[in-house]
Amino acid sequence: MIRIVTRGEIERTLIALVRKEKEIDEERLTPGAVLAEAGIDSLDSLTILFAIEEQFGISIPDDRARAMKTFGDMVDLVSDLVGTGETGLRIED
Amino acid sequence: MRITNEILPVSQSSILNPQSSILPHSQSSILNPQSSIHVPRVVITGVGIVSPFGRGRAAALDALREGRSGIRNITSIDTSALNCRIAGEVPADAHEGLHRGHDRFTRFALIAAEEAVAQAGELGVEPERVGVLIGTGLGGCETLDGAYRRLYAENGRIPPMSIPMSMYNAASSAVSTKLGAKGLAYSVVSACASSAHAIGLAAQAIRADQADAVLAGGSDAPLTTGIIRAWESMRVLAIDNEHPEAACRPFSADRKGLVLAEGAAVLVLESLENAQRRGAEILGEIAGFGATSDAGHVTDPSADGAARAMRLALADARLEAGAIGYINAHGTGTRANDATESAAIRSVFGKDPPPVSSTKSMHGHAMGASGAIEIVSSLLALREGFLPPTLNLDTPDPECDLDYVPHTPREARVAAFLSNSFGFGGMNAVIAVRVG
Repeated sequence: MIRIVTRGEIERTLIALVRKEKEIDEERLTPGAVLAEAGIDSLDSLTILFAIEEQFGISIPDDRARAMKTFGDMVDLVSDLVGTGETGLRIED
Repeated sequence: MRITNEILPVSQSSILNPQSSILPHSQSSILNPQSSIHVPRVVITGVGIVSPFGRGRAAALDALREGRSGIRNITSIDTSALNCRIAGEVPADAHEGLHRGHDRFTRFALIAAEEAVAQAGELGVEPERVGVLIGTGLGGCETLDGAYRRLYAENGRIPPMSIPMSMYNAASSAVSTKLGAKGLAYSVVSACASSAHAIGLAAQAIRADQADAVLAGGSDAPLTTGIIRAWESMRVLAIDNEHPEAACRPFSADRKGLVLAEGAAVLVLESLENAQRRGAEILGEIAGFGATSDAGHVTDPSADGAARAMRLALADARLEAGAIGYINAHGTGTRANDATESAAIRSVFGKDPPPVSSTKSMHGHAMGASGAIEIVSSLLALREGFLPPTLNLDTPDPECDLDYVPHTPREARVAAFLSNSFGFGGMNAVIAVRVG
């Protein structure tokens, strides 16, 4: 069964995932927010990426993970990957 | 401080005089009477323990004084796939909610280290001169067990913190970070002798002026399905699921094997000068360290290797065998260890060996943490004036012919003791401790 998710739903889910791993004010997680500047170090990123993979049933390639600098990059990345493969999810703008 | 000149080879006056040449090894001063090499003595000023008796020194001391077993049915994991459902498990209320985000063995080490440091008080030395040496036999078993379960039985994804949480130096790293200790830091691995080696090496580091103080000890948390099953395969576990407290029977003719356990103990070691300068209470002294290898069988112990380690520890401490008032045995409760260790003690101490007991009969075998747990347990008991007993020694064994302090604690004044730890791989470590 295919479930349709919106970009807004992905963003809200990601905010919740990030905040579960790291105490960050929700207002700070704007699309342009640089993750490192928000206090998310490399090890935090790994844990967050793992939680994203678990949540969405996706696999994030290393090069895509390394390229992720901002919260907006994170939303883009997940939106790209959610619509592909056998996740059972389809993205809808 | 109850350490007196009678039991100390170096006089107090020379210790108090920083200009004097203090050489614990008399031969060195004979060979080089002009030498001014200063070798500090290493004292214990804080101890912490989390064990099957619970969290803290008081819980351990109460159990040792009562001769009460901490071995019980395992509750921290699902035991339905196991034949052995008993262990020296640390009670949940001793650690739950503390130091989240670390493996269980690291959390135990942090709990023990915090208690030890609190007792020691302000060390008054630069953080760069404080070291951390935590021994472990098996490292982050809980983390690896969870990761492998995911890999082979679930979705194949391994949490990214699996490596830093399971590495053998995770506990040393976490203690160093938590307490801001920036001197030498590593882990020591020699199976069931790991923490004894760690404590011996820590004392040597202070003697060698590589550190002014070292937090030394051990931690292990091996109670996972995989590790217990692996031990079951070796057929050396004492399995009595109906009577957990009676399972571990060191030196008894009807002994069936060891009981796995978990926990941690950490000691604050520092130079005698530093302890005296800051007016710290001196709980004891790491007087000697002996380490040998059997270079023989990987699992069958050798009396020669154990005996040589005991002799080396005595020589390092410049103690005669007769000065030892108690031995905390490795005393696993396996057929092989107990007879071999008894023979080794007999060969070192001759016709008049001191009382020997195995506190593993109460707390089980906490693998690499056992040496530290046993040194701390012995020190706590001896400072209170009693020998901890060997429980369940119901049937004398002709091959085990020493005084094992059976069943109940015994009042005694002891100035110095040995703690034996022998690991698979034939690795032996013996620590000689003067009681403060």
